[in-house]
Amino acid sequence: MARVELDKLTFAYPGADEAVLEDINLTIENGEAHALLGASGAGKTTLLNLLSGLLVPTSGSISFDGRDVSRQPGRERKVAQVFQFPVLYESLSVEDNLAFPLRKSGMTPDQIEVRVGEIADELEISGIRNRRSTQLSLFEKQLVAVGKALVRPDVSLVLLDEPLTAVEPRVKWQLRQTLKKVQADLDVTMVYVTHDQTEALTFADRVTVLTVDGVLQTGTPEEIYATPQHEFVGHFVGSPGMNFLPNHVVDEAHGDKIGFRPEWVQLSGTGVVEGQVVRTRALSSQEGQPYGITTVATDHGEINVRGTLSAEEGATTGLKVDQYVVFADGWRVA
Amino acid sequence: MSSRPYDNRAWLGVLPVVLIVAFSAVIPLMTVVNYSVQDILDFNSRFFVGFEWYRETLNDPRFVDAFLRQIGFSATVLALEIPLGIFVAKGLPKNSRMTPFLLVFLAVPLLIPWNVVGTIWQIFARADIGLLGVAINAMGIDYNYTSEPMHAWLTLVAMDIWHWTSLVALLSFAGLTSIPEPYYQAAELDGANRWQVLRFVELPRLKGVLTIAVLLRLMDSFMIYTEPFVLTGGGPGNTTTFLSQYLATMAVGQFDLGPAAAFSVIYFLFILLFCWLFYTSVVARDE
Repeated sequence: MARVELDKLTFAYPGADEAVLEDINLTIENGEAHALLGASGAGKTTLLNLLSGLLVPTSGSISFDGRDVSRQPGRERKVAQVFQFPVLYESLSVEDNLAFPLRKSGMTPDQIEVRVGEIADELEISGIRNRRSTQLSLFEKQLVAVGKALVRPDVSLVLLDEPLTAVEPRVKWQLRQTLKKVQADLDVTMVYVTHDQTEALTFADRVTVLTVDGVLQTGTPEEIYATPQHEFVGHFVGSPGMNFLPNHVVDEAHGDKIGFRPEWVQLSGTGVVEGQVVRTRALSSQEGQPYGITTVATDHGEINVRGTLSAEEGATTGLKVDQYVVFADGWRVA
Repeated sequence: MSSRPYDNRAWLGVLPVVLIVAFSAVIPLMTVVNYSVQDILDFNSRFFVGFEWYRETLNDPRFVDAFLRQIGFSATVLALEIPLGIFVAKGLPKNSRMTPFLLVFLAVPLLIPWNVVGTIWQIFARADIGLLGVAINAMGIDYNYTSEPMHAWLTLVAMDIWHWTSLVALLSFAGLTSIPEPYYQAAELDGANRWQVLRFVELPRLKGVLTIAVLLRLMDSFMIYTEPFVLTGGGPGNTTTFLSQYLATMAVGQFDLGPAAAFSVIYFLFILLFCWLFYTSVVARDE
């Protein structure tokens, strides 16, 4: 386990004019579950490969517990990785797969046996220990792959590259819960790369939102959700994302735009803006009332309102904004 | 009438395949089977002899010798070509501008007609004028494949390796390029050495193509005819006479159609048996 620090990390592929990552500064605390959230092409995978030692930074540094490891290969950094699809030694049993990374670590066969047992119990895969990996479901395979990544007691950092991609939707949630549980139990430093904001917000202690322009914000899921540092974060995180209106509609003196979450606005007879209901989408019901998202078309674009579905489609309604954040040139100012 | 689950007209759809298989395999094979149980003296006089020719063939010491020689040859070339092919495939760059050129160079021996391969080596290895033969003799080794059985064998094996290793290499290369990069990354992070990467990452994933490679090479090497015929003519003596060559001597040299037919059927059944044994052992291990 280690505290990971990225200092002015820059990477450009050889011969490329533009850097994929430029001046990335980021600290991941020891034992933290950290999510890297970003759209495709934001450089998430590049950052992951830099952490795993597959790529060497063009400039800047990566350090583990204050030790510069930028030029060390991944196995010396004691990094482990879980990939988008389960990567196992297919000819070996589950047990041998779990033991494989330990064979080089100088542990005795008895110690290996004990450690493999611990990890298998932790992941609740003791029942399939003797099976060949080809006989497992995708879900089980990915669990074993996670086990293989966590099995070394001295692992400094575990990287997860969209680990739920290959798993069926039905068991995605279950695998995420398991990951969260083992992360908390074993207290390992984990970096979880995803483009799925729900995965990021529910898994991580802290989330970093990465775009082609670099790191936009690092914070707890609550901070990311309630106080996005940048319009993009507000728009990208949340389902549906943040609503935006010009600042003059609420007589806000600062900035040029206000942003508010769908639950910070309500339908009312009068309000700051008026519009027509174009769509309603029920999500659940509360006290017999259908509850969900009402989409209202205004002169400034569509606004999503979360709450009781009281308005008919086509009806004219006002919007009352209870709470908002203010942006200037994309960045939050208040 | 209610709807009929079966429509016999569907059999018409199978007819073309039945016809093609009949003409390409069943009818020629049955002709041979027919000959193998008869003694044919001329067009009008033929006698049914039952399994007489089969008994005779299996008791023929020259058949047994040729058969053992054949097994020895196939085993030798398989044991050399498969590892060598994998080794060559591993040495090829996966994503370089040179890759297509290297692949074409590798494929060159496969594009040369078999009798030309035989002729090339026949001249290349000659002790008096061939580059290889003269070079070996110049090194002080008394090499002559036309008089020394061991030299004839080594030359044949060398020729077969030259001719066919590329096939194994190309198949293995196709298999290797289909292994996703994360498998290598994971092995690297696990601290696997090169031997372990080969043993636990690459070979399990090459199993499919290697099965095909072994089957192809097994069948082909078991049926080898043209190259030894051109290179050594089966000699010196009978030391490089393989099954197909012995068969050809019998059938078109001596015109012993009955025994030759029985020989052919036995030959065919052995190839089938070996392929079946190999295939089932590989597939059975999977389950």
